[in-house]
Amino acid sequence: MARIRFENVEKKYANGFHAVKDLNLDIQDKEFLVLLGPSGCGKSTTLNMIAGLEEVSDGRLMFDDMLVNYTPPHKRDVAMVFQSYALYPHKTVYDNIAFGLQMRKAPRDEIDRRVRDAAQKLEIAHLLDRRPSQLSGGQRQRVALGRAMVREPSVFLMDEPLSNLDAALRISMRAEIKELHQAMQTTFVYVTHDQAEALTLADRIVVMRDGVVQQVGSPDDIYERPQNTFVASFLGNPPINYIDGTIEVTDSSTARFVRGDLALTLTEATARKLADCNGREVRLGIRAEDVDETAQGGEGSVIRGKVNSVLPVGSDQFLGFDFYGEELFFRVGKDLSHRLGDDVALSVDLNRLHVFDKDSGKTLIW
Amino acid sequence: MRRLFGYEERSAALFLAPVMAVLMGVAVFPILYSLYLSFFRIKLTRPNRTPFVWFDNYTDLFTNDLFWVSVARTVTFSVVSVSAIAVIALLVALLLNQDFRGRRILSTILLVPWAIPYVANALMWKWIYDSGYGALNGILYQMDFIDKYMIWLGDQEKTIFLIANAFVWKEVPLATILLLVSLKSIPSDLYQAARVDGASVWQRFVHVTLPAMKPGFMLVMIYETMMAIRHFDLFFILTEGGPGDASHVLSWHIYVETFRNLSFGSGAAMSYVLALVTFALSYTFIRTLGRKV
Repeated sequence: MARIRFENVEKKYANGFHAVKDLNLDIQDKEFLVLLGPSGCGKSTTLNMIAGLEEVSDGRLMFDDMLVNYTPPHKRDVAMVFQSYALYPHKTVYDNIAFGLQMRKAPRDEIDRRVRDAAQKLEIAHLLDRRPSQLSGGQRQRVALGRAMVREPSVFLMDEPLSNLDAALRISMRAEIKELHQAMQTTFVYVTHDQAEALTLADRIVVMRDGVVQQVGSPDDIYERPQNTFVASFLGNPPINYIDGTIEVTDSSTARFVRGDLALTLTEATARKLADCNGREVRLGIRAEDVDETAQGGEGSVIRGKVNSVLPVGSDQFLGFDFYGEELFFRVGKDLSHRLGDDVALSVDLNRLHVFDKDSGKTLIW
Repeated sequence: MRRLFGYEERSAALFLAPVMAVLMGVAVFPILYSLYLSFFRIKLTRPNRTPFVWFDNYTDLFTNDLFWVSVARTVTFSVVSVSAIAVIALLVALLLNQDFRGRRILSTILLVPWAIPYVANALMWKWIYDSGYGALNGILYQMDFIDKYMIWLGDQEKTIFLIANAFVWKEVPLATILLLVSLKSIPSDLYQAARVDGASVWQRFVHVTLPAMKPGFMLVMIYETMMAIRHFDLFFILTEGGPGDASHVLSWHIYVETFRNLSFGSGAAMSYVLALVTFALSYTFIRTLGRKV
């Protein structure tokens, strides 16, 4: 059992770089937590602090109710999977997996049983005598997982474990990692910059930027109710579209978003939250998939523009759409045939609009 | 029909021709010519009588006591100096792989012996070891380790080790750099993984550092062994093989035989023996250390 708690944790490097700022986070026992963000956002540093590979500069890091700021890695009962896999190149697969147990002086037959058991589960039992250099990327990945598994740790740490794999393998390994989490019933902390990985794997996602947590929540929370424009942009493919404009409030339950010819009638729920925002400059966010090409939503929901580009992606197509000199991208059905230069009218799903403050980028409605 | 050698191959041959000609003249021809000489009994004191003797120059070696003494001296010198170079270079490389103030300056200073020519190095140590005004005597005397100046290189027991010391001093920098390169190429992830796996500092050294340094070690061992068994300058300048035969190594033996006794045939034969031994040793090193790398 392991609950991890960050209390006002800071990480500063000797060269002055402030990697993690005032981190407060509670990781529940058996939770699958994903740290998500662009490179340099502090997510790997956070993971390394949990592992004990990086010292905590300030604040308290707790495992259950024990302070572990100064506990060395091997006394924390954590296992880690590295982006590079970090397999010992001169050791066989067997010895790579067994190494952590050997260092802990586990009995020989116990080691053997656990190594073979893990190899069986990961379908690498036939590779035990090979060396890492003789394995494919996917096989190395499994060995790295096996090395962490046999330790039966109470916290399982993964630092971008899938980023060196090709696309197809990455998706199948994602499913396996999810299964592994269910089978092992331990706390998983997983670092990635890949939104799709985060959304499929996580119980909760922590979005970070420049060492600061932007939002913590379920994948649904993060995707549907982003707290700021950074979180909104970081998730979604193609990225969310932004239109700058003004809020016009009619009464406490009616409001419109206006930009030139475009006037979107906001839902009652949204309008109530924006009741005191009359005339405010805002940034409207529309996810690429939240449009309907049949334009049936009525006049207050229609956005018009000229088709700039058509990008078929197999299952559907992305429509590049010129709007006051800005390119908006929408995802529409592939049956629809649009040519470059066509005028199109799409109706926006008004229930799924995001309204952010133009200057701070913070949400005004969630 | 395709020609065996196309345009590219023929122009490549043309461009290579000049350097090939030079190499033929200065390397291939002398090598083959000395092989040829090694089958004759040639003494410059009897220039008109140079009979063809088949392998006599080679078989004679086995009954020549001084030859075997020189082999023994060469083995002692090489084993002592190569092991000292490997150990010292490893320690220095580990030191220079740490982050500390003044590391750059220290690495630069460390390179100095490497930049000194062999002959200059030999002359410098001749001064240091000198029985009348040598620095070694001076320092040891002032520190009360000795009560009178010693004739260091005149001591049969110590000579070979003192020469080895001068050789080690000159060779450690290069060996250090070769080992440092392998050290630097170890990904830091491996150490982190080993820390999470619970390996102590010593266990990380044994399980991560040492195996990764194997190729570097192999290179150092082969190169330094080859340098040591063929080394000549220090013996020529410091002791001329003496006192007695205390530093009479193989390269010195060949020199004496060829240029002092003017016996070119047997000198050439011994050179070939030395070349073959060098080759065999490096081959063995590559086979044993190169396994499982």
